[in-house]
Amino acid sequence: MAELTRAILEARVRVSVADWRAAIKAACQPLLDAGAIEERYVQRCIEIVQAQGPYIVLAPGLALAHARPEDGVNRLCLAAITLREPVRFGHPDNDPVEVVFAFGSPDADEHVGLLTALAGRIQAGLDRELRAVTSDAEARKLLEAIGDGD
Amino acid sequence: MTRQEPLRVLTVCGVGMGSSLILRMTAEDALRDLGVTAKVEATDVSSARSMGADVIIGQGMHTGELQGIAPVVITISNFMDKDGLRAQLAERLGELGWLN
Repeated sequence: MAELTRAILEARVRVSVADWRAAIKAACQPLLDAGAIEERYVQRCIEIVQAQGPYIVLAPGLALAHARPEDGVNRLCLAAITLREPVRFGHPDNDPVEVVFAFGSPDADEHVGLLTALAGRIQAGLDRELRAVTSDAEARKLLEAIGDGD
Repeated sequence: MTRQEPLRVLTVCGVGMGSSLILRMTAEDALRDLGVTAKVEATDVSSARSMGADVIIGQGMHTGELQGIAPVVITISNFMDKDGLRAQLAERLGELGWLN
């Protein structure tokens, strides 16, 4: 899919973090390192959860961190991290979190295909597959395969 | 109460482009299973107030402040749970006579 070939995809497995803020930072870090997002974007991802609550924990064990295009996105991007120790976001039903995705979209539309494909792969067990792999490279391959079903 | 075709559905989250987009896909699948023709849009919680809809779906931390905005407001914790959402939609739409 076109969006996927344009997107910066990064993955880190078995990351150690102290709390949910550190988990969001860790998920954003490879995108920051790649120049896909700016530092202020990471802060906005955290502020949104502080302001709105932990709704980004959208399924058991799974969080999707992001902010808005105007918060500092240079390229369409998606990262996945798995956590060595699960952390609590304060969600009433879906804690603790073991897999955190972070994405950035440079406009209101460019991420739609990428997230559509991601949702389909999560339905098919992507979070389980991510937790099972032991290297960043294997995890990144799983992300690269997101669009293969289309 | 009668309704227009298609059913107007909003999936809501804090920003309106991530979690709500994932939920939109789950909702579209569930509504398709139920044979309901629907237009599903993902939006943020503050826009949802002014958009008007037949059905609003989101996490409890958002739907709590949207009660009364639409005839049907559904709270779901797991945005990937199509079966659970389908069951809630079937019950609530059925109560209103909105299932064919």
